[in-house]
Amino acid sequence: MGLKSFSRARAIHVMLVYTGGCNGCDIEIVNSILSPRFDAEQYNVFLTWNPREADVLVVTGPVTHLNRKPLEEIYKAIPNPKLVVAAGSCALMGGVYKNCYGDIPSEEIEGPVENIIPVDAKVPGCAVRPQDVLAGVVSLLPILLDAD
Amino acid sequence: MDEKVPRSNIIETEIPMGTVHPAALEPYRVRFFVEDEIVQEAEITIGVNHRGIERIMEGLPVEKANALTEKICGICSNSHIWNSCRTAEIGLGIEIPERATYIRVIMGELERLHSHFLYLAHGCEVLSHETFSMRIFYLREIVMELLAMIGGNRVQYGCSVLGGVRPRCDVDEAKLLRLKNDMDAVEEGLTGFVERFLADSVVQSRITGVGALPHKQAIKLAVTGPTLRATGVARDLRTTMFEYDNFDFNVITQPDGDVRSNLVMRALESFESIKIIRQAIANIPEGKVVTRDWEMFDTDIIESYIEVPRGTLYHSYALESGRVRHCIIRTPSMANIGAMKYACIGEQLTDAQLCIVQCDPCFTCTDRAIEIIRR
Repeated sequence: MGLKSFSRARAIHVMLVYTGGCNGCDIEIVNSILSPRFDAEQYNVFLTWNPREADVLVVTGPVTHLNRKPLEEIYKAIPNPKLVVAAGSCALMGGVYKNCYGDIPSEEIEGPVENIIPVDAKVPGCAVRPQDVLAGVVSLLPILLDAD
Repeated sequence: MDEKVPRSNIIETEIPMGTVHPAALEPYRVRFFVEDEIVQEAEITIGVNHRGIERIMEGLPVEKANALTEKICGICSNSHIWNSCRTAEIGLGIEIPERATYIRVIMGELERLHSHFLYLAHGCEVLSHETFSMRIFYLREIVMELLAMIGGNRVQYGCSVLGGVRPRCDVDEAKLLRLKNDMDAVEEGLTGFVERFLADSVVQSRITGVGALPHKQAIKLAVTGPTLRATGVARDLRTTMFEYDNFDFNVITQPDGDVRSNLVMRALESFESIKIIRQAIANIPEGKVVTRDWEMFDTDIIESYIEVPRGTLYHSYALESGRVRHCIIRTPSMANIGAMKYACIGEQLTDAQLCIVQCDPCFTCTDRAIEIIRR
C-alpha cells in the first residue's frame, strides 16, 4: 500500500449530489453517514460538499434537464481516482418520472445517471435504505485503495 | 415591529448561490443583493427540480395516481397520499372506518415528529452546533423505525388507500405497545434537548432576533404552517379537520417570528404530536381498516386542504370514469418562499442561509407547476 492509499483509507470523502429526486434518498444518505445510529464516520467515511476533496460521488435523482450541466461539472471537478454511486431507483432507471409523457421521450428528465457520467456501483431502492448505501460505498473501497 | 421594506434602487453587489451549492442541500438558486455584508434584497428562483407529477397523474386511474403523489416529497410523503385519497373520498362520499382515521392520524403525527426533528437537526447543523444536531438525529431514528414498523418502509410508506388504510398498516397490540414505549423515549429525549437548548446562552444569543418576520407581514405574504404560528398567529388547519375531532391538543404559537421562535415552535409542537399519538393509542377503536363499499362515478373538481408538517397542503382533481383529470397540487413551501426572501432582508450575509432554513424550505415539493411565458 502506497502512502497515498494509506492516507486515503483513513479519510474517504463522500460527496452527495442531488439531481431532482424526491428528497427521500437524499435524507437517508445524509442520515446514514452523519446520524449516530448508522454513523459511517466510524469507518472513516466523511460527508463533504466540496467536489475537490471528494473521492466518492453519490448521485440521487433522475437528473432533470437543468441539473445535467452542474452534475457534469461536479464530476469533472473531482480529482482522480473517482468513483460514482448511483443511489435510488430514480438514479438507476429514471424512476416513476422517466416516462412521464408516455411514448414521447421526456425532455425534462435526462437520466438515468449512467447516460451522463460513468457509474461504478448501483444501490437500488425507493427510498434507499441506509444499510444498502453503506454496503454500496464500502464495496467500492477496494477499487479506490488499489488505484495507486 | 416595523415593516422591513426591500430597497428598489440598484444594488451593486450581488452574491449568487446555486443552483448546486455546498450551503444548500437542495438545488435552488438564491441571489443576495448586499451592501456592506448586509442583505438588502434576496431573490429565490426555483424550477430546477420540476418533474411534472401532475402531468403524469393526468389520466391515470385514481388509485395509481394516489400512489404516485407520494413521490412528490420524501419528507412529507404520507401527507401527500393522505390528502390525495381524502380528495377522492370527499368527491365519492366514501365513509372511512374509524380505525383507519386513527391510524392515519398516528402516521400523520409520526411524520410531523420526523419532519420537525429533521428541521431542528438541520437548523442546528446550519448554526454549526453539531452536538445538538446529532442528538436530534438520534431521536429522529426512533421515529423513523416506528414509521418503518407501521408502514413497512422508512420513507414512502403508502399507508392510505381509497377507503381507509392498507391492511399491512393495521396496528396490533404489540405494535401499539412499542409505539407507546417509544413515545416515552422520544419525549424524554426531546425534553432533555429542549432544556439544554434553551439554557445554552451561546446558541440563544446567536439565534435571538435573527431573521424576524412580523406577523402582519406574515399574513400579507400568506405564510402557512409553523412558520406562521411562530409569528404569533394561531392558525392551524387541524382544528377544523374532522379527523382530529376526537383529539385534544393545543395550537402552539411563539411571539417573535425569528429563528429562535421557529426552532422553539417546532420543538413544542412535537410535544403536542406525542400527546395526540398517546390519545390515539389509548382510544383506538376495533373494526376493519378499509372499506371496499363504494362506487366510482364522475365528479366535478374536488378540493381538499389538510395541515401537513410544513403548512397547508392543497390537492384538487376531477374524476372522469375512474381517472384523474385537471390535477392541481399546492405545497406549503410555495407560500413560504415569500417569507424566506423577507426574513433575509437586513441580516448579515452569514445569517442569510439560516434565515432561509428557518422557514423550513422543501424545494422538491415546491417545483410543481411551470408557467410558459410566450414572448
